[in-house]
Amino acid sequence: MEKFQEFVAIAPWTMIFTWVNLIILVLIMKKLLFKPVLNMLAARDKEVNEMYSKAETAQSSAEALEKEYSEKLSLAKEEAAKIMKDAKHDATLRGEEIVGEAKKEASAILEKAQKEIEREKEAAINEIKGDIANIAVDIAQKVIEKDLHEKDHERLVEEFIDGWGEDK
Amino acid sequence: MNVKGPEILFEIPVLGGIPITETIFNGWLVVAAISIVCFFLGRNLSVRNPSKRQIVAEKLVLTLSGLVENTMGKNNMFFLPYIGALFSYSILSSLSGLLGLRAPTGDINTTVGFALIAFFLIQFFNIKNKGVLGWLKGFTEPVAFLTPLNIISEIANPISMAFRHFGNIASGIVITGLIYGALAGLSKVVLGWIPVIGSIPFLQAGLPAILSIYFDVFTSFLQAYIISMLTMVYVGSANEANQ
Repeated sequence: MEKFQEFVAIAPWTMIFTWVNLIILVLIMKKLLFKPVLNMLAARDKEVNEMYSKAETAQSSAEALEKEYSEKLSLAKEEAAKIMKDAKHDATLRGEEIVGEAKKEASAILEKAQKEIEREKEAAINEIKGDIANIAVDIAQKVIEKDLHEKDHERLVEEFIDGWGEDK
Repeated sequence: MNVKGPEILFEIPVLGGIPITETIFNGWLVVAAISIVCFFLGRNLSVRNPSKRQIVAEKLVLTLSGLVENTMGKNNMFFLPYIGALFSYSILSSLSGLLGLRAPTGDINTTVGFALIAFFLIQFFNIKNKGVLGWLKGFTEPVAFLTPLNIISEIANPISMAFRHFGNIASGIVITGLIYGALAGLSKVVLGWIPVIGSIPFLQAGLPAILSIYFDVFTSFLQAYIISMLTMVYVGSANEANQ
């Protein structure tokens, strides 16, 4: 024979079993669902935060490196510019020196040449003077045909020619 | 037809006989079902590349914990498992009616059980936070002559919670039973003259399925939500963070 409870009636055991069921369910859900999921979410949060902080560290170190390199680069450029400038300056100085030396040398050569010319000229004049004296003596001998002492003749003619050459 | 309560399946012969009713037995089935679901959802969780199953588990836990946090406050987060248990027990109990079981929530003792837990939690936190005298004094506020009304409203809360939930589910059971009875009668009148086919109540197919979408599915969700929400609101306001 099937027995039924009243449709609306207080049955203490049903209530007690409901509480027991709920307590068991709380423990089971906590153990099997809420705790694992919440722990996993916390672990995920932690991992994400760690990744963020790692990324931030990496970024800041990268920025520091970039700054360092750009500083080094600008220093290197400056140095290169300085070296170029120095080299140009040196080259200009050296060039001027070379030109100066060349000019000096050229002028020395010129001077030397002029002196040589002067000396040659003098020698040539002296030679011509000698030749003229001899010719004059020869001519005079031939014209005068007088037996004069040759030395006296030469002296007379030289005196004459000296006076003449200087006038000239 | 008779409107009956839960059937007594058997009695445990201790303490003058403990009656194991359909409500209790179906409650165990519900606990078993929720445990199995929780076991599969909470298994093999990984921090990276969650599976679809894990995404469902995360979504459930996060939705529920968001609801508890918004309604009860951060200091009451330890209620999360109880609210989860209450909601899932309530909804699966009500939905078990779809499987032809007698819904445990269609038994006044189940819903009174839910409501009494909330009631005792409210009183416990009020006494804990205000002291016994502060708790008693709370009934005389704002003016002394309202004390009887305050006490009545305090007692009315769990009663209204229990009867609302019970009434909705039980009325679903009753109405479904009435409709089945009526359709069987109609079937007999319309098709009864046909020899063999007449004994099969064809008209019972169709209409009850549509009605059960409202009486079972919709009401189940709504009542589970309401009882969880009311528990959270009442208990949460009894144990506020700034007290």
